[in-house]
Amino acid sequence: MIDESLLYSAIKHASELGAEYVETRFQRDYGFSISLRNGKILGAGSSRKSGVGIRVLVNGSLGFSSTNIVDRESILEAVEKAVARAKSLSSLRKNPIKFSTERVGKASYQVVVKRKLEDLVVEDIVEMGSSLYKTLTSELARAKIPVTTFSIETHTQEKLVITSEGAYVYSVIPRIYVDSNNVLFSPEKGTLQRMVSLAASGGLELIDEWRPVETIVLEMKRLENVLINSVQPPKEKVDVLVGSEIVGLLVHESAGHPMEADRILGREAAQAGESYVKPSMIGSFRIGNEYATVIEDPTIPGSNGFYLYDDEGVPARPRYLYKEGLIHEPLHNRHTAFLFGTSSNGAARAMDYASEPIIRMSNTYFKPGDMDFEELIEDIELGVYLKSYMEWNIDDVRWNQRYVGLEAYMIRNGELAEPVRDPILEITTQGFYSSIVGVDKNLAFYPGTCGKGEPSQGVPVWFGGPNVRLKKISLGVRAQ
Amino acid sequence: MSMDLELGRKIIENLKNKFDEVAVSIVTRDNVMVKLWNTEPSVVQSWKITDISLRLAKDRRLFLLEFSTKDPETLLKDVEQLPSIAKKIEEAEIYAPLPEPSIVRPVEGGIDPNVLSARNEPGKLVYKMIDAALKYNVDRVAGTLTLGHETRSILNSRGFEASESKTIIEAYLRSFKGEFSGHWAYGGTKLDESKLVEVGDRAGYLATVSNKKVEFTPGKYTVVLSPLVVGNLINYLTFMASAMAVIMGFSMFLKYKPGDRVAAEALTLLDKPRDTTLPGFASFDDEGVETFDKPIIENGRLVNLLHNVSTASKMGVKSTGNAGWMFPRSWNLELSPGELSEKDLFKDVDKGVFFSNNWYTRYQNYAEGVFSTVSRDATLYVENGEVVGQVGRVRLSTSFPILLTNTTGCTRERYDVMWWEVRTPSRIPYLVAREIMVTRPEI
Repeated sequence: MIDESLLYSAIKHASELGAEYVETRFQRDYGFSISLRNGKILGAGSSRKSGVGIRVLVNGSLGFSSTNIVDRESILEAVEKAVARAKSLSSLRKNPIKFSTERVGKASYQVVVKRKLEDLVVEDIVEMGSSLYKTLTSELARAKIPVTTFSIETHTQEKLVITSEGAYVYSVIPRIYVDSNNVLFSPEKGTLQRMVSLAASGGLELIDEWRPVETIVLEMKRLENVLINSVQPPKEKVDVLVGSEIVGLLVHESAGHPMEADRILGREAAQAGESYVKPSMIGSFRIGNEYATVIEDPTIPGSNGFYLYDDEGVPARPRYLYKEGLIHEPLHNRHTAFLFGTSSNGAARAMDYASEPIIRMSNTYFKPGDMDFEELIEDIELGVYLKSYMEWNIDDVRWNQRYVGLEAYMIRNGELAEPVRDPILEITTQGFYSSIVGVDKNLAFYPGTCGKGEPSQGVPVWFGGPNVRLKKISLGVRAQ
Repeated sequence: MSMDLELGRKIIENLKNKFDEVAVSIVTRDNVMVKLWNTEPSVVQSWKITDISLRLAKDRRLFLLEFSTKDPETLLKDVEQLPSIAKKIEEAEIYAPLPEPSIVRPVEGGIDPNVLSARNEPGKLVYKMIDAALKYNVDRVAGTLTLGHETRSILNSRGFEASESKTIIEAYLRSFKGEFSGHWAYGGTKLDESKLVEVGDRAGYLATVSNKKVEFTPGKYTVVLSPLVVGNLINYLTFMASAMAVIMGFSMFLKYKPGDRVAAEALTLLDKPRDTTLPGFASFDDEGVETFDKPIIENGRLVNLLHNVSTASKMGVKSTGNAGWMFPRSWNLELSPGELSEKDLFKDVDKGVFFSNNWYTRYQNYAEGVFSTVSRDATLYVENGEVVGQVGRVRLSTSFPILLTNTTGCTRERYDVMWWEVRTPSRIPYLVAREIMVTRPEI
């Protein structure tokens, strides 16, 4: 850990130089990884980043500076740069930047693990990667597997945030990631590719829970069936069942991102884009029907996006982005909260010490219903179930989006039938949330690394949802 | 610079008895970035950072370590556990010893003192960009200006030792006029104010080029792609040309070999590490191999994958001077000019779509090169050589084999582009391709 007095010195120095607000953050990110390809070791590695990020408000202008030389001289030099460069641009601002008034936290917390990340047994990981390759090559009967990769990465994030307004928040969050890229090949049917990711906050016990080798092998067997036996998607309009993995990504992209208040106001306009949501729509614009409730919650224990205080020291809480079809509550930091005349809901996150805190998602999910999966599909005469995806994208205002099914099946007379190849769900945000006719109770979460900001910051998130049924719509077919 | 080399020597000295090979990369950056929002600065960010990476080998076991810290104690502590781990794992599948040091001819001219001095007062330059856009009477602009200095030092226990510095300027601006927008970008090593004015000018022009919305029917069109779009796609394509992408299953080049036709004859794609006007330049790679300019695709045929010594050894070829210790990468990219004129870009387009910018390029399948990408900013329907109006946000849905094969030409004019969606600095023309699927949702 850093000597805290260095951060207090930075606050004092910046204040003396004229800063109205000073936020200091020491952040240390470290981890270990090991990667295998086709059961053989590629290499092992570790990463360690640590340094101090300083943000100042001076003459209504915002400055950020960081250094990874953690001594008094370098930190004070960073303070001076942040203040001087912010001052030099303050004349360009028409309106001074102001922050909302908040009750900030004084807290210290950490995720408690059953097995520490440092106790990772390298031989166990090597055995897993090796077993994955052997099992896939022996059990896949009709497709070859030219490449399967397997990697495990541990990551611990330690932060100390101290601000001139009295925030003091220390946190330690360990996370673990499993990733696997698998290519299936059939001389007659071509190739199919699946990237599997598992991630959460916690310790090594998660690997035991996930049983990654068994999970990946089972999935690849199902995908072998898709590669060999799939049919083209139907051309007519059909009922579409969107699997929880796609629902999760979809709510992240089409509810989470457009409800980031900085995006609504245009701060990310030249990079991650803007939002179809305008401030006047909040609380009144109908984006979907009564099923459409999307929740953002950093406080879910064990989640990949877990935190209890954001990087401005504001307490975290669940936020209802869309509530029963209405646009409800954007994600705020203290700056956007001031501009909206409200309070921050604790969404400011920074990837590492060298990154400014900006509005980010954490864990975003579609509110589940109470039906079983079987009930959800029992009256579908002809439909398609998109269980997983590879390709996806969405436009820069989060309206026009596309998800291409990977594992997908026809639904015939209420039951899953033959696999379908690459069905394309290309739909608008309102089109999706207005077409929902049923939701099951099977809430599941999936991990991701969400990118935003300049320089781009990737932060760990979960996204999730139940299986969601849409009324009859057309699915796209890939043009040859 | 000398302090970084000194630190590198100290690290090698400490570790050379514990490992068969020790290689050190030290990159020190001193950058400033002004970010614009609603025609005013939203934040000015400054970084003074040193990143250290180590490649350690013991009994053909390979370890890669990354540190964003300048504290040697932290570094050496992390390394302590590695010899015991080495005993527990097998030899790396893709490994070759570091090469014997050879003479590296340095490239010249990568430093511009004007970039260094402008870091403390970037406001004047920001005004140049903004003013050029505002001349088009746009409502607002957003974007960034980055001014930086970077020193990269590479040392290894075979005796290689070199250091190289550069200045970097990266600028992009997005202009908004009503519901329409325009975007342009520039990346270079020299401070040329006319380039910043050009960024603002083009962003302003594209935001106002047409204020008419037109109906659009999904289908196959001739597509005209701006240097920003081509730069983005070429960055994705070149990632797949890394030999490690091929080995790891992230490449359509899995099924091709050098000499195979992969694109129309009009296309030549080069890796240009020795061009110091683009900020990705380097005279040596991370293994100390001298870099050289090379074609990746020449006149439509695959010529080179990008290699380090390990991937080269695995595939039975020589390093192309593109290490990355694990993942070979390109330095600067250049798409050769064609014979079309930018002025007459739409002249022979009967029914087409002009994409001025794009984002979110995502693959369904790397091995087949199947992807889609979404337009942003001016996206124009062109009929009989004339711009009819704006089609809004649409999707280019194709594969690299189709797009590359269906390319009919490039412009003579090229632009040095670099921004959020084009991370490898690229010199790129406009490109025209026929019969490309363009889609958008029905509901």
